[in-house]
This record gives sequence, structure tokens and C-alpha cells, in this order.
Amino acid sequence: MLSVEHVTKIFPNGRGIRDVTFSVRRGEVFGFLGPNGAGKSTTIRHIMGFLKPDQGSVKVCGHDTWKEQGRFQKYIGYLPGEIAFIEGMTGKAFLDFMAGMQGGVDSAWRDELIRRLQFDVRTPIRKMSKGMKQKVGIVAAFMHRPEVIILDEPTSGLDPLMQKVFIELVLEEKARGTTFLMSSHNFPEIERTCDRAAIIKDGVIIAVKDIHELQSMQRKLFEVTFESEQEVNDFMKCGLKIDSREGSRVRVAVQGDVDRFIRETARFHVRNIDVFTQNLEDIFMNYYDREGQTP
Amino acid sequence: MNMPLYRQMLAINLKMFMNYAVGSAFYILLMFWIYPGIAKNSGSLNSLIDAMPEGVGKAFGLENGFGSIGAFISGEYYGLLYLLILSIFCILVSTQLIAKLVDQGSMAYLLSAPTTRTKVALTQAAVLLSGLVLICAVTTLAGFAGYAWFIGDLADFDGTGFVLLNAGALLLFFCIGGISYLISACCNDEKRALTLSGVITIGFFSLNLIGKISGQLSWMRHISVFSLFDPGEIVGKTANWPLSVAVLAGLGAAAFAAGMIIFRKRSLPL
Repeated sequence: MLSVEHVTKIFPNGRGIRDVTFSVRRGEVFGFLGPNGAGKSTTIRHIMGFLKPDQGSVKVCGHDTWKEQGRFQKYIGYLPGEIAFIEGMTGKAFLDFMAGMQGGVDSAWRDELIRRLQFDVRTPIRKMSKGMKQKVGIVAAFMHRPEVIILDEPTSGLDPLMQKVFIELVLEEKARGTTFLMSSHNFPEIERTCDRAAIIKDGVIIAVKDIHELQSMQRKLFEVTFESEQEVNDFMKCGLKIDSREGSRVRVAVQGDVDRFIRETARFHVRNIDVFTQNLEDIFMNYYDREGQTP
Repeated sequence: MNMPLYRQMLAINLKMFMNYAVGSAFYILLMFWIYPGIAKNSGSLNSLIDAMPEGVGKAFGLENGFGSIGAFISGEYYGLLYLLILSIFCILVSTQLIAKLVDQGSMAYLLSAPTTRTKVALTQAAVLLSGLVLICAVTTLAGFAGYAWFIGDLADFDGTGFVLLNAGALLLFFCIGGISYLISACCNDEKRALTLSGVITIGFFSLNLIGKISGQLSWMRHISVFSLFDPGEIVGKTANWPLSVAVLAGLGAAAFAAGMIIFRKRSLPL
């Protein structure tokens, strides 16, 4: 559906992307992860045909996105990372205009998208909040039912409720066979929607992983409060990795093997459990550190 | 051409186009209105002009004097103010139509729709030219209306000369618009595009003015496209009309084409 082949682009300041290669299958949701400035947006700009690659090519449904402008766009829905609409329009006028550019859309589906994302389309764009612009952008990316949807940081600016609505939308369209490429910082969103994800750093893809593998890389901290300090002493003998201890409260670091943690903990009386999920940046850091140790 | 884009761009810009057109029409009507008063004193005004250094009179298009309405309008309006209005129009609108959309990022939306960059660029050029033609047409019509209203029978009016004058101005700004459009298509930064096309247009304008004032510096005129539109010569029927038309049309068309090709080929920071 979408294949990025050996794309290299070096900007005059020396930054850029080098030999980026990956492909996304039909009906797959592909995550694109990496810290700021790693090259996610640069890669997406090549996919959209905005930048001319120094080397390599991008193909969407068999069409080269640099050489065959005008052919590939009808298969694509796009949500830019930094949304900028044409000035002096309302949300409705903009969506009508984009529908015209797309050659017509199913208005019932468009109205349903607007209803589910809950915003007033009559608001002038210059008066919209960031979240509201994001919603207009999401409608514009989905409304013509494209085969491939490219989303650059789709949930930035959305409140948690709307993030949930958005994830539902992605899963529904995925079930219909739509292919997604989605860059993100938000791990739960990637976790719930993606099948595979690529990790990019300093312009180089360092891994393309199954999402389950990524989950197993994620370290979780469980803060367990036991009934007594005696139980804590016994618990600490079990060999689980203990992060810290404070009276009858213990922080346990768990990476992957959640099952063993549950079994060990269940032998004691537990008052409370809290979980701290490691954020995506920390996972990257871990991953990069390991890469550095075994060159 | 992309019709949805053309319609949308006209919808956004039509009000501004009309403002320019109405402003220009209003001014030309004003010129016709005050002319009868000036014509009565044309003798003394002409002797005043004769007293001025020859270059200054030529620079401001006064060499035909105030004896006829054609000479008056060509000198007083088409010689200076109209050129400034249309220069500003070309610089602002051409920058808005491409460089601004690239700078802001909204060009990403236009290019993510099933169209090509060439079509987008062609459409934006068509919007610019539509505005230009609208202003020139309204100004021409206002000229005829003004003559009929304030001066007298249109049968006495040198209509052909007046139409040629307006067609010449339109062609000059087809060329200036083309150059500004080319700059707009090359720039990622809206302000830079605005500055560059401003400097080039005002530079051409000044070269022409200086060349006219000073005999020694008259060579300067020949590197300015403004020298190809001389209102006094057109009304006085001494202009080399076919040559000027060919050069202005050729330069303008080449600049538009170059803008489209460059816009098609370059990487855009969207």
C-alpha cells in the first residue's frame, strides 16, 4: 500500500533523514515513533510529495509520490502536524472547499464525523482553538474515505474524551480495510491502534517492531502497599526487581513479565496497588542506551 | 486549472479586487470632473510646464500639455498614480497567492488533494490575472463614462487611443505581475517574497523615472520594463506599439511559465 524505499534527504544544515525504508500493508495501522526533530515529519513530507528526495522513492498504491503528482493523492487523507487553513473561512466553508477539491464526498459520512467529534463547523477558523482546528483537520483527512490515511501527531490538542473518540474512529476505519500511518508521542494511542511501529532517531530508522514487542520493552513501576513491614521483607526475597522501598510501600519495576509479578504479590495481603507507566521518551532512552552498549 | 480552487480564491479575494477597481474608477472620474476647469487655464499651465526643465515635464508625462483630455489623463493618471496602484496590487496579490500559502503551510492542503502543483500554480496565476483584468476593465469603462458625463459627446473622444492606453497598462502589469509571481513561486518566506518583488518593481519604476529626467542617464530607461509603456507616446500616437506589446507579453508569459516550472520542481517546506 505504502512503501518508503531508501529515502535520503540531507538539509543544508546537515540534518535530515538517511536511508529510511519501511512498508505498510493494506489494512495495517503503522506507528511512527521518535523524539522531536528525529525526522518523523520529514519522512511524512516525502510521503506527501512535498519534498524531493535526494535518493530513494516513496510509493503509494504503486504511484511515486514525487514523480506522479496528481495521481496518488486520491488514495490519501492527510492531517498535517502543524495545521494551517486558508485564512478568512469558516470550518464549514473549508470542508466544503476540500470536498470540492476531492471531487465530492459522502456528506452523510462527513456529518457523522462532525457529530462524533462535537464541534461547531460554523465557527470562523481564526477563532478556533487548537483542539478545534485539529478536529476540522481530522474530518478533512477522513471525509473522502481514502485508502491510506497519514496522520502527523493526530491527538495533540484533543482532550482525553476526544482522544478516545479518535481512537475508535481509527479502529473502525481499520476494520474497513483502511491503511494508516500515524506519528505520535502518545504511547496508549499507539498501543491501542497500531500493529507495528518504526522507531526513528537522528534521521535513521533504528527498529521496526511488532507492537507486542514494544509493549514488552515498556517498563512499568507498580507501587504496592502491603499490610505489614514483615510481609515486605518476605516479598523482597522473591527476586523481583525492587526500585525503592518506603515503610510498607514498595516500588517494583516490571518489564514484560507481568504474570510473575502478580503471582508473587498475590501471596501476601495487599492494601493498594498503583501503576506508573513509563512514558515513550523513557522507552526510547532505554532502547537507545542498549543500542549504544552493543554496537 | 482547478475550478474549486479558482472559485474559492475568487470568493476570498473578490472584495479586495473590487476595492482596487472602484478606487481606480473613482479617481479617474475625479480627473474627468476637474478637467474642464483646468482646460480653461491650459494656456497658463502649458507655459508653466514650458518653464520647467524639459526632463521633469517628460518624467511626469506632462510633455503633451493640458490641451486635450487625452493628454491630461495620460499624464496625470496613467503616468504615475495608476502605475503605483497596479504595482502595489501585483506585488501584494502575487505574494499572497503562493509564497504566503507556502509560508503559512496551508499549501499542504491544496497539494494533498488530487491535483498537480502545475495546476495549482496555473490556477493562482489565473486568479492574479482575473483581478488585473477586472481593475483595468472597470477603469476603462469608468473613463468612457467620465467623458460622457463631464466632458461631452463620446463621438469626439479618442476612444481608440484610450483603449490602447489601457491595454498598454494591462500588458505592462501582466509583465510586472509575472515577475512578482515568479519571485513568489521561488520563496518560502512571505516577507522575503514581498520585499524582493517590491524592490524589483519600484526599482524598475525609479530607473524609468531617472532615465526620463536626466538626458545623460537615459540609458537607464532601457533596462526598465516601464519604458515599454509610455502613456504620452501612446496618446500622441508616437509609440512603437507592436514592439512594446510583443516584448511585454513575451516577458510576462516567460515569467509566469518559469514560476510554474520552478514551483513544480522544488522542495516545499510544508
